[in-house]
Amino acid sequence: MSEDIIKLKNLKKIYRMGDEKIAAVNNISLNFEKGSVTCLLGKSGSGKSTLLNLISGLEKPTKGEIIIHGLHVERMNETQLAKFRQKYIGFVFQSYNLLGNLTALENVTLPLIFKRVGVKERKERAMEMLKAVGLEERASHKPSQLSGGQQQRVSIARAFVNNPEIVFADEPTGNLDTKTTYQMMDLMMGLCGKNKQTLIIVTHDMEISAYAQRIIHISDGKVEKIDVNDNIIKHSQELT
Amino acid sequence: MSSFDLINMAVRNLWKRKMRTFLTVLGVIIGTASIVVMISVGIGMNEGYKTQIEEMGSLTVINVNVPYSADTSKNKEKVELNAKTLEQISQITGVEAVTPVKQDYFTIIDGRYVYDTSVMGILPETMEQMGFKVQSGRTLQEGDSMAIVLSAYALEGFYNPKLSWQYRWNSSQSIEINPYEDKFQITYDNSYGTKDMDKSIKPKKVEVVGVMNETDQNSYVTIMSLKDLEKIVAEREKYQKKQDNPNNNSSQNSKKGVYDRAMVKVTDMNDVEDIQKIIKDMGFETYSLVDYLNSAQETSKMLQMVLGAIGAISLFVAAIGIANTMVMSIYERTREIGVMKVIGATVSDIRRLFLTEAAFIGFMGGLVGMGLSFGVSKIVNVVSANMGRGDSISMIPIWLAIVGVGFATLVGVLAGFFPAVRATKLSALAAIKTE
Repeated sequence: MSEDIIKLKNLKKIYRMGDEKIAAVNNISLNFEKGSVTCLLGKSGSGKSTLLNLISGLEKPTKGEIIIHGLHVERMNETQLAKFRQKYIGFVFQSYNLLGNLTALENVTLPLIFKRVGVKERKERAMEMLKAVGLEERASHKPSQLSGGQQQRVSIARAFVNNPEIVFADEPTGNLDTKTTYQMMDLMMGLCGKNKQTLIIVTHDMEISAYAQRIIHISDGKVEKIDVNDNIIKHSQELT
Repeated sequence: MSSFDLINMAVRNLWKRKMRTFLTVLGVIIGTASIVVMISVGIGMNEGYKTQIEEMGSLTVINVNVPYSADTSKNKEKVELNAKTLEQISQITGVEAVTPVKQDYFTIIDGRYVYDTSVMGILPETMEQMGFKVQSGRTLQEGDSMAIVLSAYALEGFYNPKLSWQYRWNSSQSIEINPYEDKFQITYDNSYGTKDMDKSIKPKKVEVVGVMNETDQNSYVTIMSLKDLEKIVAEREKYQKKQDNPNNNSSQNSKKGVYDRAMVKVTDMNDVEDIQKIIKDMGFETYSLVDYLNSAQETSKMLQMVLGAIGAISLFVAAIGIANTMVMSIYERTREIGVMKVIGATVSDIRRLFLTEAAFIGFMGGLVGMGLSFGVSKIVNVVSANMGRGDSISMIPIWLAIVGVGFATLVGVLAGFFPAVRATKLSALAAIKTE
């Protein structure tokens, strides 16, 4: 059994809504194995997205510990978090979140720019990444000139360009049709498999969970149950 | 994020909103141009004073006088300008040359015509250093003997001594004097040519080597070598003794090796005031054109500050424009800022990006504003020249151009500071959620 790259201990996040306190994440303890694919499954408002935000350091927990790679994420300040994200984390969003005035290639290059990678190297790596998602011909297009699926491919390329150990995907296929959804999932699985990256996908889509080794059902801020998937698929072709 | 990437990204962000960037930059252009033009007028005025004063003589020459004898009543030891004190003055660091000065009143003779003039005796080799300016010919030089530089008004000043007073002026207009061809003589007998003249006084031959410039503060005197002047004075004293007619006025001149005035040439204009003070402390009175320049510049400084303040107001308004643009930009780009943070931009990256954009607006405005300033300055000068003013009234020295662009950039950075800090404080999560 390989090591746990992410450890969550008694994680709690409480929001105040007026006088009411809502526990979006209520005492969750979980471990994630290195190189594993995990699906956080739950309805809207179940707290799955909040959990993802906590793990990735976008939000501070009210209580509990988040240990990634032996580092306490909840104790980091803004600068440390930025460095931490540069080094270990890639993000894929539901709404792509590409920068509108940059080309596809430049969007993919952005994480490398923040990481101060040399001009030549980052261009090569970004181009390679675009090739991997099948968009090398669209490199100089702006996001507004790309379809939703293409934009998400660029976003995936951006998430993986740094070769991060962990990739978070928050409803990555929420805005896409079924066919494109499978294409995206195949793409992510392919990229993850190559470098043994840990992938955590937040979704409400049961079909996606077929790709994951573990399906964690979240409801009302708690882990409802954990399914271990014995029949993991690596590609949508295996579905039929 | 490297500086190159930072600037590249900042410029692209500004370029994306061309119109707004242009309008903001325009504000800075006007602000910079107004402040620079205002200051340039102040500088032009100062330089104008300076050239005006420089035409009067050298700004690095100090005139030294012996205080009036009445002053000695104040228990002050009486000081003398003699070989010893002159040597002391010349030993002061920064002093380049010293000449004692004696002045007398002689008559210059050109054939039938005469010209009565104050004559200043100096060491001939120092004449050029002391800043004497000639309109023609040359200044006195080392080894010149019985050579003079005529007063600027000499050519119109010759008259026929045989005529009675009331006719002299009219006739002097038509007298033609060729300073470099005519044969001149000099005499201490101021009644030469009239019926009162003493024929026993023999005038001496002199050669005119130059004519003083009218703008020079000493334009009204004729210059000759101190040695020659003393020789003539000595002859007059001998003559007066023979006439048994002791002249009281000559008592001071008669003391050999003592002078009533001296001129001191200083190498660096900045030392003039210090050296003046040292000489004053020795008990002498001093005067230099720097005194004059200082009081003139004091006046213009005041005006310069008022003009600068007027310009500063428009730059201040431009700064508010920059701040406004940056705040707007942050509202629009909230989501973008969030995304950048999530994919690894540090707080300092975000701050620097916004500061760079603001600085760039300031820099561009400063640069174009400087170009505009040169244009306006040119127009102002052409217009003023047409109105008959010789020297430029607006001057933009290189340092002002550099400081102007630098200041505009600084204003941009300062105006962008609070918006930039605000951008860094945005929560990444909240920023991404903004639709």
